[in-house]
Amino acid sequence: MLPKFDVLTDEQINKIHKNSLKILQEIGVEFSYDPAIEVFKKHGQRVEGHRVFLDPDFVENMVEKAPAQFTLHARNPEHNLVCGGENIIYMPGYGAPFVYDADGGKRDATMADYDNFVKLAGASKNMHMTGGTVVEPTDVEDEIRHLKMAYSHIINSDKCFMGSSSGYEHARDSIELTAVLHGGLDVIKEKPALICLVNSVTPLKYDDRMLGGLMAYAEAGQPMVIASLVMAGSTGPATLAGAMSLQNAEVLAGITLTQCINSGTPVVYGCTSAVTDMSTGSLSIGNPENALFVSASAQFARFYGVPCRGGGGLTDAKTVDAQAGYESMMTLFAASTTGVNFVMHTAGILQYYMAMSYEKFMVDDEIAGMVLRYLKGFDTESDEKMAYDVIETVGPGGHFLTQKHTRKNFKTEFFRPALSDRQSFDGWSKDSLDTNQRAKLKWQEVLANYTPPELDPAVKEKVEAFIEKRSKELLK
Amino acid sequence: MNPIFEEIKDAIVDGDEDLAIELAEKVVAEGIDPVQAVQLGFIKGIEEVGAAWTSGEAFLPDVMMAADAMKAGMDVLEEVLAAGEGEGAYEDKGKIVLGTVEGDIHDIGKNIVGALLTSAGFKVYDIGIDQKAEDFVAKADEVGAKIIAASSLLTTTMKSQKVLVEYLDAQSLRDKYKVIIGGGPTSAKWGEDIGADGWAETADEAVELCKKLLG
Repeated sequence: MLPKFDVLTDEQINKIHKNSLKILQEIGVEFSYDPAIEVFKKHGQRVEGHRVFLDPDFVENMVEKAPAQFTLHARNPEHNLVCGGENIIYMPGYGAPFVYDADGGKRDATMADYDNFVKLAGASKNMHMTGGTVVEPTDVEDEIRHLKMAYSHIINSDKCFMGSSSGYEHARDSIELTAVLHGGLDVIKEKPALICLVNSVTPLKYDDRMLGGLMAYAEAGQPMVIASLVMAGSTGPATLAGAMSLQNAEVLAGITLTQCINSGTPVVYGCTSAVTDMSTGSLSIGNPENALFVSASAQFARFYGVPCRGGGGLTDAKTVDAQAGYESMMTLFAASTTGVNFVMHTAGILQYYMAMSYEKFMVDDEIAGMVLRYLKGFDTESDEKMAYDVIETVGPGGHFLTQKHTRKNFKTEFFRPALSDRQSFDGWSKDSLDTNQRAKLKWQEVLANYTPPELDPAVKEKVEAFIEKRSKELLK
Repeated sequence: MNPIFEEIKDAIVDGDEDLAIELAEKVVAEGIDPVQAVQLGFIKGIEEVGAAWTSGEAFLPDVMMAADAMKAGMDVLEEVLAAGEGEGAYEDKGKIVLGTVEGDIHDIGKNIVGALLTSAGFKVYDIGIDQKAEDFVAKADEVGAKIIAASSLLTTTMKSQKVLVEYLDAQSLRDKYKVIIGGGPTSAKWGEDIGADGWAETADEAVELCKKLLG
């Protein structure tokens, strides 16, 4: 692994950290959920109505209790993931309500799309887990959507996945279902197997739904991403230092709450902050400011001793074009080379999280492969890798194409593109397919050839029985 | 022309809320024609900002601060305007009740729509976030609004837009108001599905939609 570079000096980190603590102490954060308020009161924090004013030492002490890294367990142990340290975890986009098709069409996302994206992530060697809410399947009733989504992850892949954080009850369902898959609540308490996303409502609020989810996961000892999305210029200050201070305050407040509920609960410091497009008011994510926020967040996470979530293949483009490519490469590259550990939205996102695209998924999968190769850096461990002997054998003026050393090493040393076209002009011009068109053929081929890993029939039966029982209760 | 009208116009263009209030208070105190103050001051200012917005020279803070300044100043003049003082009459382009639906506390998008509608000459009543169907309707009834505009940012709260339309149906008030919806996860199709009168993706499009509906 390459060393990670910093975008902030120690002095800048300290300045922003102090600014965040001052925000928490003097301005406070609003927690709409009464059980959360009770927790803060019990821990001696000043509460006025639903606003909590946090003592700086208390925040620092609480954040210190969160582990630096943790293992997330998959139903196939080969896919267990360590979140933290030098590790990086890629997964598909999260939460998009729409699917944009290759021909420029826009439609509501469905459960069939959901299954497809889980399968594509299952099939990809660059996606370490299958993510969560890979699209919003709007054709499934709200009440049971979380169960159907979890089932898709369980049945279509044996990699780790994310659970619902949409209120205490749905969160609890996701946790219990995962417990059924892994052999009990005590098993997953020991070996965490489900992670969720908890978002603040910027500026300086957490809502009922997310706090209910947070409490359910904390109680069950399951990890959480605590994230803030500051839209600099609208939901936060237009200065990067100000927006970063605000984001940092919100994330620290959320992490503090998790540690109050269950000390040592694994948490991930999450950042999705970006800027507001000042002509339209919309979020804009495919930009250098976003890359800077994410890189700074990775540094803050190191400062606080917790893993970091941020970045992804992020773009404001509406179709798989050059903009989609260059923006996504910038944001994934920045996140990956500055120490982010958990990368939601690695593949598939178009138009600032609004849509998923199959073609974009394949493009991002390619980008992810390139970045993962880059991160491996140079291997100088052995004489074989230093290649002196083969250079001597070939000598001046020869070539290396027919050397055993070449045949043996190029496959592991070179990134092999799955989507990029490296043909001659004549070769390419036989079909003249652009990236978008090639990506369409590619995902169709991957889906057609994918066989989901088998799930033990006895476990499958239990999982299905749980879902059936809860669905009946919820749809009553 | 009274130089105060030019000052009011400049205060709006600068988005200076305090100055707009101060000048409006001066209009009332000195018995200056309030209709002229509106037409030659406030409206002129907001039109100038609107034109700069359309041509891409002005940005959101410019428009939103101008709209806030206009609203603050106009509130001061409301009483004398209602009393029919001044030459001629001032009429807004239509009244619109605007809010974020029940269960949803996001308001940036809604605020932008409100500002652009104000700058286009509509009178906007913003009832805030997390509002029940009956709150939208009560306000619309109180102020005589023709349009109810409901925002939702979450897939989980979109259904509150449907509840709003159903509530109007149940109260036999559906024909009295035009219901328009917007927000990240919403779509033209969703608008049609729930029987809304219109959907807009952006704030600019919302203004065009209101012009069409009230035109």
